[in-house]
Amino acid sequence: MLNPLRSEGEAFRFLLYVVAVFAVIVALVLLGRAIL
Amino acid sequence: MEAASLQAEHHHGPPPANRSSRVDSSLLGMYLFIISEIMVFGAFFTAYFFIRVVAGDEWPAAGTELPKLIAGVNTAVLLSSSVTMHFALESAKAGNRNGLKLGVLTTFLLGATFLFVQINEYVHIGFSPSDSAQGSVFYGLTGLHGAHVTVGLTLLAFTTIRAFRGHFTPEDHRGVEIPGIYWHFVDVMWVVVYTTVYIL
Repeated sequence: MLNPLRSEGEAFRFLLYVVAVFAVIVALVLLGRAIL
Repeated sequence: MEAASLQAEHHHGPPPANRSSRVDSSLLGMYLFIISEIMVFGAFFTAYFFIRVVAGDEWPAAGTELPKLIAGVNTAVLLSSSVTMHFALESAKAGNRNGLKLGVLTTFLLGATFLFVQINEYVHIGFSPSDSAQGSVFYGLTGLHGAHVTVGLTLLAFTTIRAFRGHFTPEDHRGVEIPGIYWHFVDVMWVVVYTTVYIL
């Protein structure tokens, strides 16, 4: 399991996942606002 | 008796600390630190969501505007500093001394650029924390993050100086690894702050 406190490499991977998840959230919200 | 005196003769420094937990002390310290950080940021995010969701007030306050584009470019600057931090540690592990120096120095400069742009934003944004609840939360969240960047830059300054003095090796690079974890944590928090405060 990914533990961002274990090593710098895992912290970096965690950051990339967070960026990807928030990019999807922003895209969905902006899309929702454009449609509604 | 003889063995004990021989052991005492070879032991340098203070006696080993008493361990009251099965969790490694440095890891336990880091967990407690992160939990306290989540609570601090959580308090500010609670105020933010209260304004937007519970009170239903507009965001940002009427007559004010947040510089989304400049903050977006600044976000790219901060995220790229995480890439250079990762490069620095990989270089240290590979014994690439020049790569390590270049990596930590670039990370420091990118972090300093982010902070400079943030301060410049405060100067030109046109509202103060006392103008509205939205202003208080905006300065609170971005300022709290800025304080963390400042701490990260202090750690990176020491890491950079040590790297240029040749302190790190492929076997011993803890002084790069720990600031690296902290720096990525600061970047994660900025992704959350930027998304909620500027974009959504």
